[in-house]
Formats: sequence, structure tokens, C-alpha cells
Amino acid sequence: MNELQIGGLILLSTLVVLFSGLPIAWGLSLVAMSFLVIFEGPNALANVPLVMIDELASFALLTIPLFILLGAAIGSTQAGKDIYESLHRWLDRVPGGLVIANILACGMFSAISGSSPATAAAIGKAGVPEMIKRGISARLATGSVCAGGTLGILIPPSITMILYGIVTETSIGRLFLAGVIPGILLVVMFAGYAWLNSLLQARAKQLDLKAPESVRYTLAEKIEGLRRVTPFLIIVVMIGYAMYGGIATPSEVAAIAAALAMALVIVIYKARSREDQWRIYRETVRESTMILMIIAAAAVFSYMMSLLYVTQSAAQWLVDLGLNRWVLMLAINVFLIVAGMFLPPVAIILMVMPILTPVLEANNFDLIWFAVMLTINMEIGLITPPVGLNLYVLKGVVPNVPLKEILLGSMPFVYLMVASMVLLAFFPQLALWLPNQMMGAG
Amino acid sequence: MTRLYAALMSRVCDALAVCAAALLTVAMLVIIWMVVYRTLGYSTSWELELAVFLMVCSLFLASPYTLKTHGHVGVDLFTTYLPAAWARPLMLCVMLVGLGVTLFLTYLGWEFTVDSYLKGDRTESVWAPLKWPLYSMMPIGFGLTAAQYVAQIAEFFNPPPAHE
Repeated sequence: MNELQIGGLILLSTLVVLFSGLPIAWGLSLVAMSFLVIFEGPNALANVPLVMIDELASFALLTIPLFILLGAAIGSTQAGKDIYESLHRWLDRVPGGLVIANILACGMFSAISGSSPATAAAIGKAGVPEMIKRGISARLATGSVCAGGTLGILIPPSITMILYGIVTETSIGRLFLAGVIPGILLVVMFAGYAWLNSLLQARAKQLDLKAPESVRYTLAEKIEGLRRVTPFLIIVVMIGYAMYGGIATPSEVAAIAAALAMALVIVIYKARSREDQWRIYRETVRESTMILMIIAAAAVFSYMMSLLYVTQSAAQWLVDLGLNRWVLMLAINVFLIVAGMFLPPVAIILMVMPILTPVLEANNFDLIWFAVMLTINMEIGLITPPVGLNLYVLKGVVPNVPLKEILLGSMPFVYLMVASMVLLAFFPQLALWLPNQMMGAG
Repeated sequence: MTRLYAALMSRVCDALAVCAAALLTVAMLVIIWMVVYRTLGYSTSWELELAVFLMVCSLFLASPYTLKTHGHVGVDLFTTYLPAAWARPLMLCVMLVGLGVTLFLTYLGWEFTVDSYLKGDRTESVWAPLKWPLYSMMPIGFGLTAAQYVAQIAEFFNPPPAHE
């Protein structure tokens, strides 16, 4: 049996094991250990604990639980509602202003929390009932939050980018910066769609454009709203300044930002009781453990693939196909979209990137640029069935809206995401300009 | 008896999650201390390594709690598409495989820790702590996760009354 045939067998076994419902971490460990025993003998298992610990004992990985703590702290408060309300006060005269406020709030909240489900939950809880109450269709209301929530893994700080940086050994700071302009671009595209959709809906119904959103705010109320959002903006600015000013590493920035967020929720939102604190920490240890355990298991999986020479052979096979580089990129993205429909971004990055990295380099694709493409691709997986996490998070937040409506509402945003990837393919500078300007050409 | 065991494990999982949260908080404070100390012009030695150790300990200690609260993400696609009659046997099968994997990782982790203890391995840093206390977190964490699997399998056969 040659390496590619072994690779096919590994792929098939992995899919069967993962789709059985076995936790991904145990599933990857099981497949990896089984293939090690079959092809290398039982002695090969002796290195498994070392591979796991070596992978975990990394200072860069500390960024993950600390940014999760930051997100959990902010997510446990009314911050999502405050950000959303503050933005709405400024956009009350714009057609579709509520939906646009919602999308902008998703962008801002994701810049603080770094988590897509947390963003969808926090903004959805405040925004969707309000939008539906004011006459916006449930489809547009839920779709905009679902899609807006996905910005959490693109706009820095992003757990997905951190993992990508660790796996491909690219600069996390540079990756964070690369996500900024495409993130803003997506926010603008989403907001533009919401504006157009609201306008057309109102015209079709012969409605006064501003009728559904008849609440008006004074300047004093608008400024009061801003006051509540300011502390969060300070955290975002501080993260950016410390990380890109070369003052601290991502892990150090994550620690300081998490401590600041905890102080903020204690002082401003008075989350001082044991229950409040436990809620934040419970969420943090749970999510961190899930991600870090997958990372440890994926390290064993990669070790097995490399030891059996499957990674190298698969990469070489892809290079030897001699495909046009853009046909290859299209094939990779189609594969990632399909994979993203079934597996979480963490697992995909850890399993696929060791194979793709040499292929991308051989075809002169920039790894920083590809990180943005991959992340937008993973965003699509978050709002498409069967395991689109944001769909279910939002369904939990607004149980009275059918899942089908949420899904249909999200689809136009999927098309916009695909359009943004096409734009990125034509204009790679959208991702590369900012990191090159701020950190020098890579 | 099985209910008592499941209740006990539930308490143990919660207590370990609290310990894991405390360790993560200490790791955060150690990093902040490191940044401040370095900014004052001093060189740091043990801080970075300790913070990493604390994170790894936190991860393994929180694993049983994560299992208890269904936090270890899985893709239960077969359950969705297979006939309903298959769901329960499949669930049991998945739990048994999970138990087997965690028990085997406990065994591997134990062998690895004992080996490191006997050799007296230390890290190659200035601080140079012994490695085995860190490694021991692996058999402890996986062992307790396996114990939680046993509790869940026991509850599968002897489910608690609905009001509990």
C-alpha cells in the first residue's frame, strides 16, 4: 500500500470516526494511534504523550484561553446590548439603520471577544427581538446577526488566526492585521445589503422608509450611549497599540486585556457575585479545554501522518498535478467549504494546513493572504448546515424563529462572503497592505 | 450505588473546574507580573515557563468537567441521519470508545510520567524545574475524564429521575 492509499484510508477512517459523534479530540487520537500501531508497531505509541505535551507547552498557545476569558467576560454582561443600542441611536435615521447597527455591533463586539458564537449570542439576544418588534423580517434580522457573528473569527483578536499562525509558523500580529481590512469590507458589504434590502422591502410594501423605526434620539442620548461603549473601545485600542507597537507579545497582550475586561465587568457591570464569576470562568475553562485538547490530539494526528509520510506525499501529489494555481486555489476552497460544513475551524486548520502549507508555498501563494481566505471560508461553515454553529446559537437565543428562516436569512450573506473572497483573489493587497505598512514587507 | 458515584463524580468535576479556573487566573497574573517586571528593566526567568505549566495543568484538570457539560465538541451526523432506534446503541458505543481512548491515554501518560520521574528530567531553562509534575497532569486529567465516562455510562443504564 503506498502513502497516498494510506492517506485515503486515513481520510475515510477519520470521517467515519468523527461523524459518529465521538468528541473530535478523542476521535483524532484514536485514528492516529490506530494507524501508528498498524503501520509502525506498538512502540510508535511511546512518543504520543511527548508529542501532546510538546504541542501544549507553548507560550503562544496561552493566547487562546486568555482571549477566551476576555470574550467570556464581555459576553457575560450587557455589553453586547450596550454596543448595539449605542450604534442604533446614531443610525436611527438611516433606512435599515437597525440592521446596520446590528451588523456594526457584531463587528465591534467581535473585535473585543474574538469569538463568532459569542458575538452571535450577545448581539442576537439584544438585536433580533428589537428588530422583529420594529417590523424587520425575521429572516433579515436573524440572517444579519448570524453572518455578523462570523466576523468574530476574522476581525482581531481571532482564535482561528492564532491557531493558523501557530500551525504555519507565521506571525500572529501580521495575521491579525491582515484580517482588519477584509473584516471592514465584509461589514460594509453586509451593511450595504441590509440597507438595500430594507429599502426594497419598504418600497414593495409602499411604506414610509423610516416608519418601522420611528424611535428618535436626542444628541444627549446619543452621547450617553457612546459613554457606555468607550471602555470597550479602549480595550480594542490598547490591544492594537500593545501588539503592533511591539510592546508585548500576543500572549502578554491577551493576559492584560483579559485582566482589564474582568476589571471592567466587575466595576461597570457589577459582576461581583460568585455566580457571575463562575459563569465567566466556567465558559472559559470549558471552551479552552475543548480547543486545546483538539490541538493536542491534532498534533498526534499530524505526527502520525508525517511518520507514515502521508503529509509529504499528499503535498507532493498536489504539486505534481501541475494545476493552474488559481484552479488549485478554487479546488482548495471548494474542499474547505465542504469540510467547513461538517467540522469546526480549529480541527480543519490543524489537520489540513500541514499538508497545504508546502503546496501554497510551491505555488507562490502568500500564507498571510491565504489565512484571510481560509478564515472567510470557515465563516461560511459557521452559518451553513448541518453543523453551522451560529445557526444553532441564534436558534437558542430566539427560539420562536424557525431554523429554516434563520438559514434562509443567512444565505445572501454567504454569497457576499464568496464575493469578498473573489475580491481578495483579485486584490490580495486588501489583506496584505496593512500588515506590510505596519510591520514591514513580510 | 451508580447514582451515588455519578453524583460524586459531578462534584469532583466541578471542583476540578474551579481549580482549573484558579490556575488560569494565576497564569494570567504571572504574565502581567512578567510584563511589568520586564518594563522596569529586570530580566525574567521562571515566569514564562510557570505560566505555560499552569495552562497545561488547567487544561487537563478541566477535561472531566468539559466532558460532563458536553463541551468536548463532536459531530453527531450519524445520529441525525440514522433511524431513531440506532441512536441509543450508537450513543453507548461512542461513550465506550471514548472511555477506551481516555483510559489508553491515561496508561501512556502514566508510563511517560514514571519514566521522566525515574530519569529526573528537567527543562533546559534557567529555572529548570522537574518535568514529571507537569507530565503527571496527563494521566490525572485523562484518568478523571475516563472516570466521568464511567459515570455517564452508569447513568445511561440507570438514568436519574426526570426531576433531578
